[in-house]
Amino acid sequence: MISAIIISCKKDSPVDEDGLLITFRQECFVSNFELLGADFVSVRSKTAVIDTVAQTIDVEVLFGTDLKNVYPQFTLATDCKLDPKITGKTDLSNLANPKVYTVVSGNRKIRKDYKLKIKFQ
Amino acid sequence: MRNKNIQFSFLVIMMLASLVACKKEVYTIPDPVSQLTNDCIKRTIGPSIVSLPLEFAYAMAIPKSSGKLVSAQVEASIAGATGTYLENRSFYTNASGVDVPVLVGSPSLTVDKTTKMTYTVDTNAATLRYYYVIPEEARGQSVSFTFSVTSSDGKTASYKMGPYTISKMSIKRNLAVSNGVNAYISIEDMAVYNAAAAAATPGKIDLVYLYRAAPTTFTHALVSPAADPAYLPGVTLPAGLNRSTKLRKVFNLQDRNLANLQFGIYVDDIDLKNVDMVDMPNYAIGLRAEAGVWVETADKKYRAYIFVNSINAAGSAVISMLRLTL
Repeated sequence: MISAIIISCKKDSPVDEDGLLITFRQECFVSNFELLGADFVSVRSKTAVIDTVAQTIDVEVLFGTDLKNVYPQFTLATDCKLDPKITGKTDLSNLANPKVYTVVSGNRKIRKDYKLKIKFQ
Repeated sequence: MRNKNIQFSFLVIMMLASLVACKKEVYTIPDPVSQLTNDCIKRTIGPSIVSLPLEFAYAMAIPKSSGKLVSAQVEASIAGATGTYLENRSFYTNASGVDVPVLVGSPSLTVDKTTKMTYTVDTNAATLRYYYVIPEEARGQSVSFTFSVTSSDGKTASYKMGPYTISKMSIKRNLAVSNGVNAYISIEDMAVYNAAAAAATPGKIDLVYLYRAAPTTFTHALVSPAADPAYLPGVTLPAGLNRSTKLRKVFNLQDRNLANLQFGIYVDDIDLKNVDMVDMPNYAIGLRAEAGVWVETADKKYRAYIFVNSINAAGSAVISMLRLTL
């Protein structure tokens, strides 16, 4: 039994620096985007527009949104990851210099920069 | 082959060990009550806040052959505030789950730290409720209780409860605010003022309540006097109002004490101490019923949690608050 457990735990696939499985997938895009306020309620006034060719995300937020304390949420293609990681509340208040997030494909060979452009309602 | 035998033996030992571990403990029936006996539970849960009651259920019994109950009393380590009493009714729960009272004694009498109730009926078992209204002197202190009962055979039984730490928070419920009238909120005073009263004590006004139907996301708002004028549209502040209070919106945090005993969530001292108020804005717009805001005053002397009990589209709301002095 112990041998079986040991064998089943044997590493046979490569992992990246975050301990995530590196796969063969080449897809690399953002499929959905959400922006939450400090109360974890959406601050979008309409659905975010994601342009996977121009690699931009256009978001319109509600009047009075405090962009210094928001929580962006990205939905990515299978096996992709985001760089930089979102670890908590984020300051997106610098509208003149939109923040750039990089999507990294499952095989970790393709990287695409997405510019997050925010405007008020 | 030898390895296989070892593995099989190991498996059998493991299975036997797991069977032994499942051995059932034998239940023993407790001894019946043979003398004056008492027991107590604390019925109040959540933080113990000054001005609110702590509720206990004190049960006592004596065998019929030994006599009857004569009196019951509770001694608190800190004298309770006005409203502290020991029920003179015993409760039992009927088949429908309803607590039914039975009068068993004269109304209790509280002298200093001791509340006493004397039985007026011949009974050998009762459960009495004790309500201790937390006094101002107990804020931040520990309070404990000694429940005791005396029977006709001269015996006494007692039961100690506590110590319970009393919260440093203050509570104020159901403050009515209205657009342009009673719109000026003081965290220090835990009160709402009109413009004339606010002008008299401008240094104490931390927030302005306002309602605007447009834009549709504005509606009910709490805004600092020092906030960007965009968040105070059409408001002419009384002279001297200039505090910049930090606000952090919260949703789904319906404190049971603030929400008039609905829901099962409690805000405690530690929540107010630990809430992250760094870089928070000085306005909160688009507030809804049952939403809330964490508040930190400009001088960092107070933190508060303001809960919106109800809103009215005509431009008024009812709010409640818990406040901690830092």
